[in-house]
Amino acid sequence: MKKIKNHIDELFTDIPRNNDTEMVKQEIIQNLEEKVFYLMEQGKEEDDAINKAIVEFGDIEDLRNELGVKNPGIKNMAKLNLEFSVWGSSLIIALFIFINLYYTPNTIWAIYPIFVILWWPLSMYFVWSRKKWRE
Amino acid sequence: MVRSDIIRGHLDSIILRLISEKDRYGYEISQEISLRTNNRFQIKEATLYAIFQRLEKREIIEAYYGDITHGGKRKYYRITPLGRAYLTELVREWTEVKEIIDLFMEGLE
Repeated sequence: MKKIKNHIDELFTDIPRNNDTEMVKQEIIQNLEEKVFYLMEQGKEEDDAINKAIVEFGDIEDLRNELGVKNPGIKNMAKLNLEFSVWGSSLIIALFIFINLYYTPNTIWAIYPIFVILWWPLSMYFVWSRKKWRE
Repeated sequence: MVRSDIIRGHLDSIILRLISEKDRYGYEISQEISLRTNNRFQIKEATLYAIFQRLEKREIIEAYYGDITHGGKRKYYRITPLGRAYLTELVREWTEVKEIIDLFMEGLE
């Protein structure tokens, strides 16, 4: 029976561990063990029965999707990037405006670097909204 | 054995039907499917648990723990009122699909 547990543990390696997945895992192991007992009652050797149960279990891909291995971190990452770029660029823009007004109040040149810097939050906004679209 | 990708879209209906008859647990369902189809169709257990997860999330079925057998507690599923409504809808839909496909599949040699 250890073999079944090991096999399921292996299938679950890249699935995040939490209460839900732990419960599904227990359920699967319990049901597989029951299947093995049933097959043994039908006259199969224990090893045969275990192998049959494992082979017939199939591919775990669907279950993986269902249990949500969709990397929930990525969306937050995009949002974090956007926030960082907004704060960062506002600081730099404020600095340029200050230098411009303080040292050369008669020539407005800060608009050029500001325009360049604005591409940063703009591109981050693009990445973020594209992520949101895909969901 | 039947190509499973054709049946795939109807696994919800098959499982719901079996649970609607009486509360059942995982292995019982896979066994019952093989039995009723005379082994012409067998569900992969991995698929089965994925469907349980999905249906439970949508509150179409609910789970509870039953008696202890072979060292573990069986997890049983029962159908909810929402699930019954959903099953009725699936049956109605299937009848219609069958009629439509039959229009094109029948009467050929």
